[in-house]
Amino acid sequence: MAAAIRFARFGQKVLILEKHSKIGGLNSYYYRKGKLFETGLHAVSNFAPPADKHAPLNRLLRQLKIPRRNFVLHEQYSSEILFPDRASLCFSNDFTLLQEQLATRFPDSAKPFAEMVSKLDQYDPFIPRPKISARQFVSSFLQDKLLVEMLFCPLMFYGASQEDDMDLSQFVILFRAIFQEGFFRPEGTIKDLLDLLLDHYRSFGGEIELTAGVTEILTENSKVSGVRTASGEVILCESLISTAGVPETKKLFPSPDTAATFSQSDVNQISGRLSFIESIYLLDKSACGNLPKDRTIIFFNLSEKFSYHRPAEAVDLGSGVICFPGNFQGNKEDDTIQLRVTHLANYDKWRHAFNDDDKTLYPAMKTHWVEKSKKVIGKIIGNYSENIVYEDSFTPVTVERYTSRTQGAVYGSPEKIKDGKTNFENLYIAGTDQGYLGIVGSMLSGVTMVNQHILNKI
Amino acid sequence: MTIDEIRNVILEIIQDIDDEADFTDLKPDEALRDQLDLDSMDFLDIVMELRKRYQIQIPEADYPHLATLDSCVSYLMPRLEAA
Repeated sequence: MAAAIRFARFGQKVLILEKHSKIGGLNSYYYRKGKLFETGLHAVSNFAPPADKHAPLNRLLRQLKIPRRNFVLHEQYSSEILFPDRASLCFSNDFTLLQEQLATRFPDSAKPFAEMVSKLDQYDPFIPRPKISARQFVSSFLQDKLLVEMLFCPLMFYGASQEDDMDLSQFVILFRAIFQEGFFRPEGTIKDLLDLLLDHYRSFGGEIELTAGVTEILTENSKVSGVRTASGEVILCESLISTAGVPETKKLFPSPDTAATFSQSDVNQISGRLSFIESIYLLDKSACGNLPKDRTIIFFNLSEKFSYHRPAEAVDLGSGVICFPGNFQGNKEDDTIQLRVTHLANYDKWRHAFNDDDKTLYPAMKTHWVEKSKKVIGKIIGNYSENIVYEDSFTPVTVERYTSRTQGAVYGSPEKIKDGKTNFENLYIAGTDQGYLGIVGSMLSGVTMVNQHILNKI
Repeated sequence: MTIDEIRNVILEIIQDIDDEADFTDLKPDEALRDQLDLDSMDFLDIVMELRKRYQIQIPEADYPHLATLDSCVSYLMPRLEAA
């Protein structure tokens, strides 16, 4: 959306082809029982006050020509990194909270942490460089292994596409976005935000077709000439930007030759291995007085070491994310409390169950793991299973079905294409697989790719 | 176009990009980006808006000519007349 708005803004002809019936991709919505549920949104990172002109959020709004005053934000209360029986660190949109909490709970690490932050502040994550292990970098400052695990926990859950470690550039981007800037929700729902973007796009003359997935990318030598859609229609174009993801884009090349020109790697090898099971609950408010009111998100870990990789079992109940979408400042009160619970999940296990001839297997598996999750989460925030008015869960298979992300990889491929360029001179990658993370990040990706590769050619 | 007209066009475009831009005490012979706290993305927008309104293409190599209000006017004057 952001890439297309950027292009349409300057009077250029652009068409969005969206495979699904709704826009949003990994951040969309659906209806059940007359209520709207958001699929991806927990919190948007990169909060910045209006006066901070150079903050990514405000730069993005200027680039899209959306006045900041039209974009009402509700800030988080505070979030928590919780390793029960070991330590807890809270953080908010005021970075000093984390600094103070850290100084209290890890007094020997306060000074090294300040030194590390100073180094991070000077680091430009967008300069192309060979990969540097973020874990090694952080461990070179912080001797306390528990603290290192705790700092990585929210950053990994928030947007890491690689197992166990991440590139230092990614770490810097996420550290700033989450700890130094912070979380917010736009006013309303993700649908309101998507509708705003769509109206804005159309006001510039942009065109969009829904339920119009691209089935083939057509090429002539080293250039893309156009696309064929599901209806068989051929549309020619001078440039093509794909936000479908790298492995997903590879699948759109009709012949093995052109697919290999795009990428030599096997699709399954470049797909992300990280996916989740997530449950959304609506709880009866009157029965839930004991639930935290001032916690927006809790990132928890029960295991000795926080492991961020595809679990051996179907679900890793040893860690997860507990989110209260209602706990943002200024949010309207409702008669229900919404709760979202996320755990790492093994795509293969869920896919096997889904494909099984016994069609009761997959739903039974969902019920089994969700019930176990309720017990684990109940120990952390208090028992809520008696007070559920509505619940729904989605698995890696659901993610793959609705977003077409191979293996339900919610954060895309671990191999990002930082400059967005491909072996086809007019085909570019933008979004999660170009490397920027989160809603603000992926929109900035769209903007930057259009700025760098297309606007300068027209 | 006159010098004043071109100046107004540029200021109007900047206002459009950043509606909080404050032009009081703007020095025409000093860098616009520093005085108005514009970044490279904002600057690209100025170039793109000029292109959209007047169909003039400004190659990246010429961007330094747009550093100050005065240099913008000198650079754009012949090009806007030709457009």
